[in-house]
Amino acid sequence: MGSENGVADGGHGHAAPCRFTFDGETFEARPGQSIAGALHAGGQYVLSRSFKYHRPRGLFCVSGRCPNCLCTVNGEPNVRICTRAAEPGQDVRSQNAWPSLDVDALNVFDKLHRMMPVGFYYKRMYKPRKLWPLYEKVIRNIAGLGKVDFDHGGEGTYDKLNLFVDVAVVGGGVAGLQSALAAAEEQLDVLLVDDQPALGGHLRHDPDLLPADFSELLRRVVAHPRIQIVMSATAFGLYEGNYLGIQQGKRLIRARAHQVILATGGWERPLVFENNDLPGVLLASGAQRLLHLDGCRFEGRAVVVTNNAQGYRIAAQLERAGTKVAAIVELNELAAGDPGKIPVHAGKTILTARGGRHVRAAVVGNVNGGGKSDTIRCRWIIQALGFTPATSLLYQSGSKLRHDAERDHPAVTQFAKGVHACGAVLGTHDVVAAGAEGKHVGLTAALAVRGEADTALRARRDAAAAELARLVETKSQPGVVGHYVSGSTAKKKFVCLCEDVTEKDIYDAIDEGYANVETLKRYSTISMGPCQGKMCQAAAIGLCAARNGKSIEETGTTTSRPPEQPLPLGVLAGRGLHFSLVRRTAVHHWHEQQGAKFLDAGTWKRPESYGDPASEYEAVRHRVGLIDVSTLGKIELRGRDVGKFLEFIYPNRFEKLKPGRVRYGVICDDAGIVLDDGIIARLEPERFFLTTTTGNADAIDSWFRSWLVVKPEWDVRMTNMSTCYAGMNIAGPRSRDVLSKICDANISAHMLPYGGVAEFDVAGVRAVVLRIGFVGELGFEIHVPTQFGQHVWDALLAAGKEFDIEPFGVEAQRRLRLEKKHFLPGVDTDALSNPIEADVPWIVKLDKPDFIGKWSLTRAANRPARNRLVGFRLDGTTVPDEASLVISDGRLGGRVTSARYSPVTGGVIGLAWVPAEQSANGDRIEIQMNGRRMTAVVQHAPFYDPEEARLNG
Amino acid sequence: MSFQIDCPNCGTRGVWEFHYGGAAGKSRPPLSADAAEWTDYIYNKENLRGVQTEWWTHRSACKLWFLVERNTATNEVLSSRRYSVPPRQEEPAG
Ligand SMILES: [Zn+2]
Repeated sequence: MGSENGVADGGHGHAAPCRFTFDGETFEARPGQSIAGALHAGGQYVLSRSFKYHRPRGLFCVSGRCPNCLCTVNGEPNVRICTRAAEPGQDVRSQNAWPSLDVDALNVFDKLHRMMPVGFYYKRMYKPRKLWPLYEKVIRNIAGLGKVDFDHGGEGTYDKLNLFVDVAVVGGGVAGLQSALAAAEEQLDVLLVDDQPALGGHLRHDPDLLPADFSELLRRVVAHPRIQIVMSATAFGLYEGNYLGIQQGKRLIRARAHQVILATGGWERPLVFENNDLPGVLLASGAQRLLHLDGCRFEGRAVVVTNNAQGYRIAAQLERAGTKVAAIVELNELAAGDPGKIPVHAGKTILTARGGRHVRAAVVGNVNGGGKSDTIRCRWIIQALGFTPATSLLYQSGSKLRHDAERDHPAVTQFAKGVHACGAVLGTHDVVAAGAEGKHVGLTAALAVRGEADTALRARRDAAAAELARLVETKSQPGVVGHYVSGSTAKKKFVCLCEDVTEKDIYDAIDEGYANVETLKRYSTISMGPCQGKMCQAAAIGLCAARNGKSIEETGTTTSRPPEQPLPLGVLAGRGLHFSLVRRTAVHHWHEQQGAKFLDAGTWKRPESYGDPASEYEAVRHRVGLIDVSTLGKIELRGRDVGKFLEFIYPNRFEKLKPGRVRYGVICDDAGIVLDDGIIARLEPERFFLTTTTGNADAIDSWFRSWLVVKPEWDVRMTNMSTCYAGMNIAGPRSRDVLSKICDANISAHMLPYGGVAEFDVAGVRAVVLRIGFVGELGFEIHVPTQFGQHVWDALLAAGKEFDIEPFGVEAQRRLRLEKKHFLPGVDTDALSNPIEADVPWIVKLDKPDFIGKWSLTRAANRPARNRLVGFRLDGTTVPDEASLVISDGRLGGRVTSARYSPVTGGVIGLAWVPAEQSANGDRIEIQMNGRRMTAVVQHAPFYDPEEARLNG
Repeated sequence: MSFQIDCPNCGTRGVWEFHYGGAAGKSRPPLSADAAEWTDYIYNKENLRGVQTEWWTHRSACKLWFLVERNTATNEVLSSRRYSVPPRQEEPAG
């Protein structure tokens, strides 16, 4: 990456000469040189092998767009070395060549062109089917670009940055600079993004165009305190709400802008001719970058092919740098500039580049192919054929464009809200006019932020509009009408350098029926490579239009989607789970110290066990155990109408629940489907406390609020206490003995019976204590303020020491609850389960007035059940996996939802959904496990303590 | 989805702070309504293309449920407001 702050200098980073290696050979780089510039200066012209045919490729666009210079740098694959600064000791390696760049064995594909027709993925590799694995193995080995280095790749820190600005400007050319400055001078916060290491756009490397006041403009932009400049950064996506995705090295920048100005300029348009991919064929702007930014020269003779004034400028610049320009090949009948002493071949084009690993000569002939041709000896073929506007982000924004045939240029018919554009992307190439357009657009964006009521600003904007109108009249240049492809019938005319797609491939695909640009793209893979269509799309659409006998407008364009430029996945992934929420209970560190094995319950960490769930189980059944239930959702409701509200939310009754009592409840939706369950306690006449399951805590909170918002006449005030309280459940025959040691209340069976709730001090801390028994033993659920959670937990353990208390985790709890046949919503129920079929029909009070789910549950109660959730017993110790199938009459009849070994029954127990006709107590069901069938017996009563003597103790 | 929503409590925030609650406007039928009306209420979601009024909740912050007018084709948010009870008839005193 170039220096982030070197915004107004001439290019890349380091200050002193340095050495690096390319495929093991040492090269020297001058200060400020890119890797590619240093290689060019060192005479290394072949940089890669092409994707499909492994043809030698060299520098072409020199602007970080084409695929030719993709290399692996210090283990990082697919680095565009033309925009990466050379640094001391860099290890640069070529890609896609084996065994070496010079001798690439896979270059045989180039001779076997016939074997790899367009769409060969589809044609060659579908028969015979048994060879698929072989095809895949071979293709995987030779396809793709670069190798991921699992040892050294992805080093460094990927990070993310969120920015919020008034105006974001994409593109640091003259239009972008003027728009950024205009908006900033209206006291707006401006973000200026450019994908090159320095500002200036193409003025950086086309000194003949540089206006006198340009350095002053740069100085003002760089110095402006309201302009934040982000260099070497690609704006790869423009999403709804003016949300820009920007990649800067290993950083992902997400910028929210009130207004977005797209000053993205254009991509120079290549000419397609035979062997147009040979090293030595370069885009004019690429040659200019090497000349003016990297201080390189072009040794030997050059031919410039052009249809506009830029070709004549680059020819003169090459001559000044010592290159002999042998000819200017002018596609028009009249020269578009002053050639000086260079011979001009007007009305001609390049038909062929001759040479093996580098250009040796150019064959020049008539534009449409006929007649005689000349061969001109040269080392370089420089193309200057105008620009394709960089419209990707404009399309992504939802702006509407059409093709202006006269100028051969897209024209915006409607901008998306808050989106503007200026400069070459709109076809305004003249530097002065582009600057005026930038200023006008900057002020227009500022006005959109400030509002039309700002009459002074409006006046300034109108003045800028008038200035622009005057300039456009005098300075507007005719568009460069496209010449994409030289007229010869040769085969190796590459339209797409990334995927090695030739003109003939495109014609073949169209002739095979892929005549629509979207299907043509997918079938031929054109524009699907690293350049994402920047080099090839204009030519492909032109060819498609010509072959179909349609206009460019009728042919249309493929949909532009993010990312506009390939991104390293690490940039999107960031630092892994760094920013995901993790919740730990008040006792978490104690659990850790005890060596607890944790499981994820939503965002929470819960102890699954402390190493021996069987021992934890035994402690609860025979002595006393303690479990952390802080993760439960907890809601406090206050008000006159809470009873009424709960009667509406739950299918069972709450209005008459007495203060000091708790009741179990299941929540359904209006389809009668079980959403959640929990305990509802009435602490005072107008104060209720309830719990939800851990996983549904947020959803139930939201569910309650969604009903309360449409019932504002109800006096119900709701507070989510989930993280305010630490919860712990002490359970087992000795639990009362433990708790009574450290509380100030009488908790006898008489004073606090099963189903009771009371508030009193536990270990000196005010607590809500619920006498409930999820695990089927005498037990107390204690809720205390979170900050005292550890204190109360410690006090309970200390008091329980003499009774041999043990902490227990979720696994022991699940065994214990299964013996009581308590179902877990979302584990034992799913999106089709209602409480009648889930074996809790008693909870549905259909004689109540309206409640959520009443209509559906009334229907469910009045029709025969289809299936039921039942308990089952299974001999032996083989525990069926959850979701094992229940087979009924040879067909799928249901499934197991929970199963465990039960010490109480001495066998396996579980819950399963079974057909209603097999759901009677004692019915036999078939469970399929690992291909075997086991016969289980349905049991309605809980497996443990069906009389509930222990619970009520 | 990267658009923004105006929470009536908290102001403009990214959509990822909110949860969608479905199209508004279909009110819950009385128990006396027939099966067609109930099944339509429970199971039929219109999935409109264009501007619709819909429920959103600011789930990552204030948790308010409120109404948003949004173009489902472009995700342009046109307005947002608190729910207000439709006007109803005066209840008899006492
Ligand atoms: Zn809010």
